[in-house]
Amino acid sequence: MENITKREINYPYLTQPVEIYERANGHKIVLAHKEGGLVNVSSWVKTGSINETDENNGISHFLEHLMFKGTHKHKAGYFDKTLEAKGAIVNAATWKDYTFYYVTLPEGPDNAYLKEAIELHADMMLDPVIPEDEIGPAFTLGDDKVSQKRERHVVIEEIRMRQDQPWTKIYNSTNFNMYTKHPYKRDVIGFPETIASIPRETILNYYKTHYTPNNITTVIAGDFNHEEILELVCRSFDFQGRENYNNPKHELDTPVSEPKYIELKGKINTGFAITGWLGPVARDLKENIALEIVNVVLGEGQSSRLYQNLIEKSDMPVFNIVTTDFYNFKDGGNFFVQANYKADKKELALELIKKEMTNFLNGDMTEREFNKAKKKLKARFAESAETVSDIAENIGYYMTVCDDLDLVEQYPHILEEITIDDVNKIANKYLGLNHSVTTVLLPE
Amino acid sequence: MKKIILDNNIPLVLKENKNTPRHALCFYFKITEPEKKAGVYTLLNRLFLQGTKTRDAHLLAQELDENAIDCYSEMKQDFIRFKLQCLNEDFEKGLEILSDIIKNSTLEDFEKEVIKLKGEIQAELDEPKALAMNSFYSCMFKDHPYGHTYTNILRDIDSITKVDIIDAYNKLIEKSPKVISLVGDFGSEDVTGLLKKYFSDIKNNAGCKIKNDVAELVKSEVVKVEKNDASQAQIIQGWRVPTIFDKDYAAIMVMNTLLGASGLSSRLFLELRDKKGLAYVVRSSYEIYDHSALFNVYIATEPKNIKTSLEGFKIELDKVKNIPVSETELENAKNNLIGKRQFFSETNLQQSSLMAYYEDKSLGADFEQTFNKMVKEVSAEDIQRVANSYINDRYVLTVLAPQQYLKEM
Repeated sequence: MENITKREINYPYLTQPVEIYERANGHKIVLAHKEGGLVNVSSWVKTGSINETDENNGISHFLEHLMFKGTHKHKAGYFDKTLEAKGAIVNAATWKDYTFYYVTLPEGPDNAYLKEAIELHADMMLDPVIPEDEIGPAFTLGDDKVSQKRERHVVIEEIRMRQDQPWTKIYNSTNFNMYTKHPYKRDVIGFPETIASIPRETILNYYKTHYTPNNITTVIAGDFNHEEILELVCRSFDFQGRENYNNPKHELDTPVSEPKYIELKGKINTGFAITGWLGPVARDLKENIALEIVNVVLGEGQSSRLYQNLIEKSDMPVFNIVTTDFYNFKDGGNFFVQANYKADKKELALELIKKEMTNFLNGDMTEREFNKAKKKLKARFAESAETVSDIAENIGYYMTVCDDLDLVEQYPHILEEITIDDVNKIANKYLGLNHSVTTVLLPE
Repeated sequence: MKKIILDNNIPLVLKENKNTPRHALCFYFKITEPEKKAGVYTLLNRLFLQGTKTRDAHLLAQELDENAIDCYSEMKQDFIRFKLQCLNEDFEKGLEILSDIIKNSTLEDFEKEVIKLKGEIQAELDEPKALAMNSFYSCMFKDHPYGHTYTNILRDIDSITKVDIIDAYNKLIEKSPKVISLVGDFGSEDVTGLLKKYFSDIKNNAGCKIKNDVAELVKSEVVKVEKNDASQAQIIQGWRVPTIFDKDYAAIMVMNTLLGASGLSSRLFLELRDKKGLAYVVRSSYEIYDHSALFNVYIATEPKNIKTSLEGFKIELDKVKNIPVSETELENAKNNLIGKRQFFSETNLQQSSLMAYYEDKSLGADFEQTFNKMVKEVSAEDIQRVANSYINDRYVLTVLAPQQYLKEM
């Protein structure tokens, strides 16, 4: 067995500690035990829109599509067909900090399906051909004479789909306006013009730069012999001396200093609004937990403040939907208030949201609300330990966005110790109205 | 898995899964009297979480959240089901709240719920896909309750009275056949005793005959939905097919899998997405209700591709009808279908839900095993036969797109 280091982490609600291995080349392997006949194999790459520029925006996601287009050993389609014929769910996703590829499938007799999945997954991760004929020729948007419509067109259809979604439209606008220079400002999927024209060589170079041992974590979750599977993962992930690459550090963005407002129009009948704030870096667990608590208290579910005060107890119907969301990102998360309202009540809707935020920032969260949020966050670990996919996804997130799994072990303790005063201070640090960006979408 | 008939005659199906942190319970109430005004059961379903005699809506939501208990009801075409999921130690608390919701809901916030529902529907209809689906189902099922989509609810909602809701509630509690399923790590807990404690006063009406016939589709219909700023056309084409109770059920499931439901290797995905670059989302689906079922194909594509997409659908559907599927493809589709069932029944809640679903249809909570056998027996001839029998010229086709593209159709 090659030179490899091992650590163990106690993961809430799993019956055995999670094992983290690091190989000499920097490739990390995480093994998690979960009873049941299903297994999950995934690899997480530390690249997403965080590594993109205006010129190549969308390349991480386009590459994700093209990774499925065959290797030197297996032509396009073999991977999907072979694994899906065993009952596998096969897919991938790209976000700001990462791109990940996964297979969830029955373990098979004597783990045979798991082993085949690992070999095929490793082959796909390390040896993609990205063939020109699968990408399709570069073209100019609007040119109806394109004959070879291949993956460029598929991704452009995905962009079109998102253009038709009102929530996506205003999310993108708010996100873009929250940042000045950080790459997070760009939409992960990019623009049709870029996807239509980006050359194969640029994509291949991007792959070679970012898919390096130190940037990849492979997670296996399920019921299997750890020694045997570790050995197989190491053997299958033969990087052949591939050089490592360290992502550049980006300067953290400062939030806007006065409220920013953007208004869009569309052929719709109701009004949509998203207000966003920049939040703490992902490794600051206490601050992230604090904003997760704020999220539960303010905008999660029917007992939340915004739902109760603005919908349930409202004398006059203004809102159809009002919720909050909190996303964790390596260089700083985002907190959002999302609302759908009667189109002629825009001013009132925004005013009412502002009032609720002001009340909250003035420290009027009750002990009861605070304790409810803590209990919900605790139970979330039980939830995320129920499926091999959720376990793997949680591990992948921590390993990639937070650089380690140590925070999983610390999470229950920090959650236990955090006080209402801490939460109020942290909420005031990030969620001041002067630091907010709002986009509304209204009927034309 | 075991089945117990409770004192009140309600079947309880139980499965113990060791080392799982949460119990999951499903409680099915079959709808015995189809609604005459669109939205009656939707409103009733929403009112279940709007307060009981001792807990107002806020207190109810707060108590559930404080205990991290997921408890909600869902309205489907043929039943309303309650789902309860909580940490093992909170199970009795969860049961107590659920029984309070079922037995003591006041249904008082009726007017407010009408306003909220209207608003949410309007927001939903701003999504092109929801708008297209709305038109598709209301055309496919016309005045039948299965066709009570968003716009039909908006049409009828102001004529629904509180008396209609109370009447629907009483019928649901007193007349509906019921099923309970429970999956979790029970240890020494007397779960049957607990269920008796909270639900023994709710009567079952097993064997109740429900009349809810769906009129046949006699011709094809094309529904055009204008959305002038849409970047993509939404295209849905659907046929009526037999339900889960029919001998052709397994064959249609396999046909659906190989055509458009197996993931990245299905025919529609390979031909319309991978080779022609027409779409990001393209798939088929088999939707099953008690009194009808649909086989649908769906694509979202640039509006100028409408014709090519419809031709693409036709080519693939004709292939299934005219060319026997190869042994390898047939085996792959069957294994995909059977293997993937594990993925969709991994959690206690998924298992509990599936067990109750089958038991409610009188197929037996362990129907999954029968299903697997049925799938294995499907032949290439079966696939061809069902394709030729059911994919015919009696369909509903809905296309949403900007006006200029609809005109060209």
